[in-house]
Amino acid sequence: MVVGARLTPICVKNCNAAGFPVCVKVPRNFRLLEELEEGQKGVGDGTVSWGLEDDEDMTLTRWRGMIIGPPRTIYENRMYSLKVECGPRYPEAPPFVRFVTKINLNGVHNSNGVVDTRAVSALAKWQNSYSIRVVLQELRRLMMCKENMKLPQPPEGQIYTN
Amino acid sequence: MAENSGTDPTVDSNVVENAASDGTMIVVTVKTPKDKEEIAISEDSSVAQFKEEISKRFNAKQDQLVLIFAGKILKDGDTLNQHGIKDGLTVHLVIKTAPKTTVGGTSQSSASSSGTPQANSSINPSAVPNASTTPGTGPTPASTQPPNLLSGFGDLSSLSGMGMGSANFMEMQQQMQRQLMSNPEMLSQIMDNPLVQNMMSNPDLMRQMIVTNPQMQQLMERNPEISHMLNNPELMRQTMELARNPAMMQEMMRNQDRALSNLESIPGGYNALRRMYTDIQEPMFSAAREQFGNNPFSPSRTENREPLPNPWGPPGTSPSESRGTGASTTTTSSAGGTAPSASNPLGINASGLGNGVFGSPGMQSLMQQISENPQLMQNMLSAPYMRSMMQSLAQNPELASQGSNPTAATNPSQQQQQLMQQMLQMFAGGGGGSLTLTPEVRFQQQLDQLSAMGFINREANLQALIATGGDINAAIERLLGSQPS
Repeated sequence: MVVGARLTPICVKNCNAAGFPVCVKVPRNFRLLEELEEGQKGVGDGTVSWGLEDDEDMTLTRWRGMIIGPPRTIYENRMYSLKVECGPRYPEAPPFVRFVTKINLNGVHNSNGVVDTRAVSALAKWQNSYSIRVVLQELRRLMMCKENMKLPQPPEGQIYTN
Repeated sequence: MAENSGTDPTVDSNVVENAASDGTMIVVTVKTPKDKEEIAISEDSSVAQFKEEISKRFNAKQDQLVLIFAGKILKDGDTLNQHGIKDGLTVHLVIKTAPKTTVGGTSQSSASSSGTPQANSSINPSAVPNASTTPGTGPTPASTQPPNLLSGFGDLSSLSGMGMGSANFMEMQQQMQRQLMSNPEMLSQIMDNPLVQNMMSNPDLMRQMIVTNPQMQQLMERNPEISHMLNNPELMRQTMELARNPAMMQEMMRNQDRALSNLESIPGGYNALRRMYTDIQEPMFSAAREQFGNNPFSPSRTENREPLPNPWGPPGTSPSESRGTGASTTTTSSAGGTAPSASNPLGINASGLGNGVFGSPGMQSLMQQISENPQLMQNMLSAPYMRSMMQSLAQNPELASQGSNPTAATNPSQQQQQLMQQMLQMFAGGGGGSLTLTPEVRFQQQLDQLSAMGFINREANLQALIATGGDINAAIERLLGSQPS
């Protein structure tokens, strides 16, 4: 897998008096490469997985995620596939997330699986230290909420077509 | 990645595994939510071969495994190379425990088939165990019937779908339920009935009964934990032991209450308890309440210190009625041998268990119906749970010897009557109440005929009639044979 390390311009904010940067914004691609590596190494508890949709994607924009349904909920034993799109302003701007596998979950549009940014706190209050993993884990946590854990689900294996 | 169908054309049944000489070996970490293993495999191998290795290591069947890497599900036909799986990387593994979901898992053609928007509407989505297909009592119109105690006791209501269809039957059930609801004592009496205890000693039977109740099914859908509980045989056995022995049950409840109160004292514990209650116990109790009328599991039920009514109740017919409890395989081995007394040959003791459950008007009408309609009996008998009841009956030799009356055996209609008598005995073993079906009454006509013929010994007549099941000619033979004329 070859990915050109194209640097987007670095904006160095928050320099102290001596001009040394106190807090550096990591360039987008570096971040995404890092996340790619984490996805491949299985960082985390093993309940979510993520990776590039297309290994040749130089822009590192389109990603795929997978959430394993938490036990003791109605999502148990199912695997939910998602599409994550990291725009050019990532990680300053949150990614777009949508479910591919049909799911009945508060905050996910029933018709197309798009995740409502306002319903997921990680997206609504996005910080640039957040990552794709954080978003996926947050969605999984939502599945375990009382209001969601017993929602009737569509038959397994269905996907959104639009 | 053009594989859409999930079949693996590239994999035949080659046994060459990671010991393949082609390609270098890589070590891949396979991680489940519970643990992780490192698996060495050739870097050229296919996903199917990889799964083979994994199934050995994790002790699971290959088709139960679902592998995920970088957010994509690995199909059997793909190769590790295709997905970019290299040395030192981690693949996530999910082991499907429920067999029916494996098909759905592999048909989730999500990642690699970005161009195949198939709507695979495959399987039953709910996590309800497969026992939701009812046991052999046939179709389940039970869901349309009003909730019924007996439907919790084995889906008797579905018998109506089997062709019995007698409206009275259902009403009778309703009556029984109403009675049960109004009289909590009845429940403990039911539990004490050796017949019921026998039924409950069969774990499969109990599980079937519970699962086929539509309310329980709903409950299980909402709370997958409950289905876990039911599927765990150890737990079921324990629970049934408890249910059978009410004293033990109370003891358990007391222990549990004490443990819970300890929990309460931990900071934050009270909230956890409350959450637990509202999430789990409430719906369970409300479902149970609907079933049992009165909540037997509620810890708030006060201890019942009254001794249960004396089963070997009012004097006069005590020996014969104990014979009627031949249904149980407990202590009644001696009781089974009691000879029929004059007035009550079948042991259908009029004053039997006193206020036993089966003395209820509902039970009486059931028995009346049964005696009027042998077909009903046959239908009831062919239900599987009845079979197990009958099996335990069959173990009781006394009962079996009754059925082997030679003269009766040759005559089919007699056989039916014999069968009926046995059934009646069984039910009446719980207490005949004020049953008016004494053989005396039934054979009134025959008795009259016999006395008109000159057989004046009414007792002997009656005995003979019982033995021959109402056949006058056979009874006469008997009488002549036994009389020292």
